[in-house]
Amino acid sequence: MDFSFLLNGRYVGILLGGLFLTLVLAIIAVGSGTVLALVPAFLRLSKNRLFRLVGTAYVEVIRGTPLLVQVLIIYSFFRMPVTVVLGIDLSSFIPGMLALFINSSAYVAEVIRGGILSVDRGQSEAAASLGMGKGLAMRKIILPQAVKNILPALGNEFVTLIKETSIFMYLGIAELMYAATIVRTSTYAVKESYIVAAILYFCLTFPTSKLMGLLERKMKKADAR
Amino acid sequence: MPDNLLVLSGLSKTFSDGTVAVDAVDLSIAKGTVTVIIGPSGSGKSTLLRMINLIEPPTAGHVVFDGIDLLQKDVDANALRRRIGMVFQLFNLFPHLSVLANLTIGPMTVLKKSKEEAEEAARAMLVKVGLANKADNYPAQLSGGQKQRIAIARALCMDPEVMLFDEPTSALDPEMIGEVLSVMKKLAADGMTMVVVTHEMDFARVFADTIIVMDGGKIIEAGTPEVIFGHPTNPRTKEFLHRVIDKE
Ligand SMILES: Nc1ncnc2c1ncn2[C@@H]1O[C@H](COP(=O)(O)OP(=O)(O)O)[C@@H](O)[C@H]1O
Ligand SMILES: [Mg+2]
Repeated sequence: MDFSFLLNGRYVGILLGGLFLTLVLAIIAVGSGTVLALVPAFLRLSKNRLFRLVGTAYVEVIRGTPLLVQVLIIYSFFRMPVTVVLGIDLSSFIPGMLALFINSSAYVAEVIRGGILSVDRGQSEAAASLGMGKGLAMRKIILPQAVKNILPALGNEFVTLIKETSIFMYLGIAELMYAATIVRTSTYAVKESYIVAAILYFCLTFPTSKLMGLLERKMKKADAR
Repeated sequence: MPDNLLVLSGLSKTFSDGTVAVDAVDLSIAKGTVTVIIGPSGSGKSTLLRMINLIEPPTAGHVVFDGIDLLQKDVDANALRRRIGMVFQLFNLFPHLSVLANLTIGPMTVLKKSKEEAEEAARAMLVKVGLANKADNYPAQLSGGQKQRIAIARALCMDPEVMLFDEPTSALDPEMIGEVLSVMKKLAADGMTMVVVTHEMDFARVFADTIIVMDGGKIIEAGTPEVIFGHPTNPRTKEFLHRVIDKE
């Protein structure tokens, strides 16, 4: 094995750039996905049957189809001319991002719904007995407690998304996997480039999971104040 | 009838699984009185109480509170709920809020009181229930008896016109029952209208104006403590009282 390309500043730069873009993509996807996820989550929690049906269909269809297929479908719907901004080709970045963000919203919706359902029913009853309306009770009583269950699961979703950003390679976006491919083709160090990519992914996911575990324990402790 | 704050008529609850928990109950509660509901487990006491503030939506009948039929379509249930306090068997304090915030959240968000005003009233209420030093604690740091006294204080901070209690002492260790009952006794002495589901027969004997006996979703007997404890007419009342009083 020959890892000597790691001594070459240009290749290291490409790889680190890819690593950085991967992280940014995952953060954007999980952030925007969480906001979008509120819609299907509350649809599924609604008393209205039609709303529940729509929410469930959204979640099930997206979770039941491969991300790659979703990316390619959305990509084929968005035929826009090559537009490069800050070294990123928006014509593939935007559909890619859209796919990842829709995909993550379906998973996060379930996380949010589970977190809300895990709050004891007595809490909303107590809020109602004080005359609080549904929305007020949700904001002041239910969601603050649900967040304790949601945040750790959201961390896991983030770790999953870091790995799934590798799908952007197919769209020619210079995330980590794409960067590894560039290094591979210019150095012919096939195994080595992929191994380095794997290690770099792990360097992102492992500390994130650890951090989430820590956060979870801290919040459990805070609960037992 | 004079001063009936609450009138329940034909009030019924059939759960979606077909269980008839409460079956056409009629009950009038006068202002300033203490009504104690007793009866075997599963007889519908909680369901009846929870229908009074619509936490459990009735499937038939009427709840008329202060002359307003709560089940009319255009009635704002939340606006009326704030005038009806409720104390739960398992306290249902808000664990993410301090004791003080538990007491002020209703007045601040629902009654739109200022923080200063709400906190001042809350602190005065904490003095009343004997927990002035717990304002900055969290519910998890309190004993069961303390939690229930805070829950009572939380309901009282809304300045309700009637207080509903669902077995407020049955989740407590025996040595903590007294402290909660003494808060309730003070409240009764102050003239609060109260509806109390309880197995504390001594409380019922001394403080109830009316005792309601429930069985199988129906009121099988109602009367003063003298009548209910002295010479009940329904054999099922006698049987129930024998059981609970023998246990004591
Ligand atoms: N959510 C529910 N769904 C179905 N049945 C219920 C529900 N809540 C209570 N019940 C049933 O209704 C009856 C009365 O219950 P409840 O009012 O809790 O009685 P009590 O408070 O007197 O013990 C019981 O048979 C109980 O099993
Ligand atoms: Mg009960």
